[in-house]
Amino acid sequence: MTATQSSSHSSSVTRPAKQLPKSVEIHIRRRANPDSPQYWERFAIPYRPNLNIISCLLEIQKNPVTSDGRPTTPPVWSMNCLEQVCGICTMVINGKVRQSCSALIDNLDQPIKLEPMSKFPNVRDLVVDRSQMFDHLKRIHAWIELDGTHDLGPGPRMDQDDVQERYAYSRCMTCGCCLEACPQYDGDNYIGPQAIAQVRLFNMHPTGKMTRDERLEALLQEDGITNCGNAQNCVQVCPMNIPLTRAIYEENREAVVHGLFGWLKK
Amino acid sequence: MATHLSRTFVLRKLHQLSGIVPLGIFLLEHFYTNSKAIDGPAAFNKAVDDLQSIPYILFVEIGGIFIPLIYHAVYGLVITMEARPNNLNYPYPRNWFYLIQRITGVVLFFFIAFHVLNFRFGMIPGLNRISVAHRPDLAFDIVSGEFRLLPIFLIYMVGITATVWHFANGIWLFMVDWGITIGERAQRLTGYACIAFGIVLLLVGINAAVAFIRPGGILGGLL
Repeated sequence: MTATQSSSHSSSVTRPAKQLPKSVEIHIRRRANPDSPQYWERFAIPYRPNLNIISCLLEIQKNPVTSDGRPTTPPVWSMNCLEQVCGICTMVINGKVRQSCSALIDNLDQPIKLEPMSKFPNVRDLVVDRSQMFDHLKRIHAWIELDGTHDLGPGPRMDQDDVQERYAYSRCMTCGCCLEACPQYDGDNYIGPQAIAQVRLFNMHPTGKMTRDERLEALLQEDGITNCGNAQNCVQVCPMNIPLTRAIYEENREAVVHGLFGWLKK
Repeated sequence: MATHLSRTFVLRKLHQLSGIVPLGIFLLEHFYTNSKAIDGPAAFNKAVDDLQSIPYILFVEIGGIFIPLIYHAVYGLVITMEARPNNLNYPYPRNWFYLIQRITGVVLFFFIAFHVLNFRFGMIPGLNRISVAHRPDLAFDIVSGEFRLLPIFLIYMVGITATVWHFANGIWLFMVDWGITIGERAQRLTGYACIAFGIVLLLVGINAAVAFIRPGGILGGLL
């Protein structure tokens, strides 16, 4: 007993410091242009602490040579804010969709696999065309109607609970994580959690409520809210922690009460 | 402003509703009748005979069971075809429930087709050519004879388990799809309630099946 204790004690004292990797191995799923096929390329860059995916991509861009020594074109990606609020650097990292700016190398298993999001048209390398999400926002009237440019006075007062809930929905940065992780969304067949949460945001607004039925109309279309399969991946992957399933189920209630049973009031 | 309902919206809402009313209600009735077997062959045969004496039984059976069942099954397959499962990359519980709901749906498509042709119509050559509904006096013996064949009994165990899962999870899905359950806490609590209900229903369903090969069911002779 004493021997075991002392041996375990000594081993914990002499344990070597955590082995730091000498290099970072990154596999990138690339595409030269929208019509050409995808292919994988492997890169290795020197390790230093606190690297993120973007700093690795910048490093590769400086010297675009694959890990087997073959010069190649510099990989292309999108980035902007570098603090997880713009959403443009979203990509699939080790199989999961997330922002590359906040993906720290020290927290990732190597080799690190970078892929463009699969649910949007792939333009080149890690760049995708996310305009279908902006089309959804137009279809659901993701704005408050204002009549003229004259001073309308102070807006209607809002309940603090509603303000809190609306704030959560207002944080959406249209990054596309929810659509990428959704097992129902494929080929723009479903308006998706991103747009449904914005319907909730604007239907909760006292002025926005006046055009509720126009937003509801968009949710009752062929690609509307009933395409939700309740897998709930959207709420798991949302980087802004938006209560997306809550928004979908609130809108399910509106769709049932006003869409399905609205005729009972006529 | 009147809202226009798309075809998909109406078909999905009908699919969600038909799973609870009438199919879910019928499943509860079915387990109730099956459980009569615990009291012996005479009690079960009488229950089958009583069902046959329901007024307008032909219309009840066609409108209340066959049409909703075929609709729910066929449109369910259409929905299943749309799924693009990604459970290995996103292994969250609800994502597994999503996949299992579709797998049990496909299992049930074949199980219920076999089950209805077998007992309701007696159209499985080499196994059973007598409709249980038309011969209530033989009902217990027909079922009992088949359940003594191990492969048939195992098929029924799988079928009952798949049915109970699909229904218990289906109640939860109905509650969120119709906007009854909304918030995270309510989702969690109704989830637990559906699991508890499913466990009870599974025990009732399996016990009724066992009662056809062991007098009194699992606890036969003890109670």
